[in-house]
Amino acid sequence: MTKLVEWLFGVSVVVAAWALVSFDLLDLSLPQTYREVAWPMPLYLLVSFGCYSLATVGYRVATFNDCDEAAKELQGQIKEAKEDLRKKGLKM
Amino acid sequence: MATGVDQAVGMSLVVFSLLLFTYYSVWVIILPFVDSDHVLHKYFLPREYSVILPGIAAVILLLCIGAFTAVIMWKNRKPKKVD
Repeated sequence: MTKLVEWLFGVSVVVAAWALVSFDLLDLSLPQTYREVAWPMPLYLLVSFGCYSLATVGYRVATFNDCDEAAKELQGQIKEAKEDLRKKGLKM
Repeated sequence: MATGVDQAVGMSLVVFSLLLFTYYSVWVIILPFVDSDHVLHKYFLPREYSVILPGIAAVILLLCIGAFTAVIMWKNRKPKKVD
């Protein structure tokens, strides 16, 4: 069984459970509040995934390290390269 | 550590997404179990909007992405050379 088939199986089980609860397909007569909570579940999962992505991006932007030594070294190498090319005749 | 504006923007994104998640969770999951005459209901819109508003947000997001792509492609068009 391939991974795709496994995932599709898992997804269809979850979707079936959600449809059973929110549209009352087996006529289980669940309390109305449970149906009200279950019905927006796919949208809720999507919104929470979006919030998680936004929080991860924001956190990694805030904690991204500056590397001062590497920056200085890079500037020095840029200068060297410019000098070298100028000597060889390239107009900057 | 990143400095200045980077930290401010990053942390504000984190705080915003936490607030949004908490508000939406209470709206969708907790509110149906709360009595309809509780004062908490005053702070939340009717529940239909908990489906409509993310839908509108998704449409706006797709529109922005499409407009951005269109602008970039418009700027990069090269006129055909006439030989």
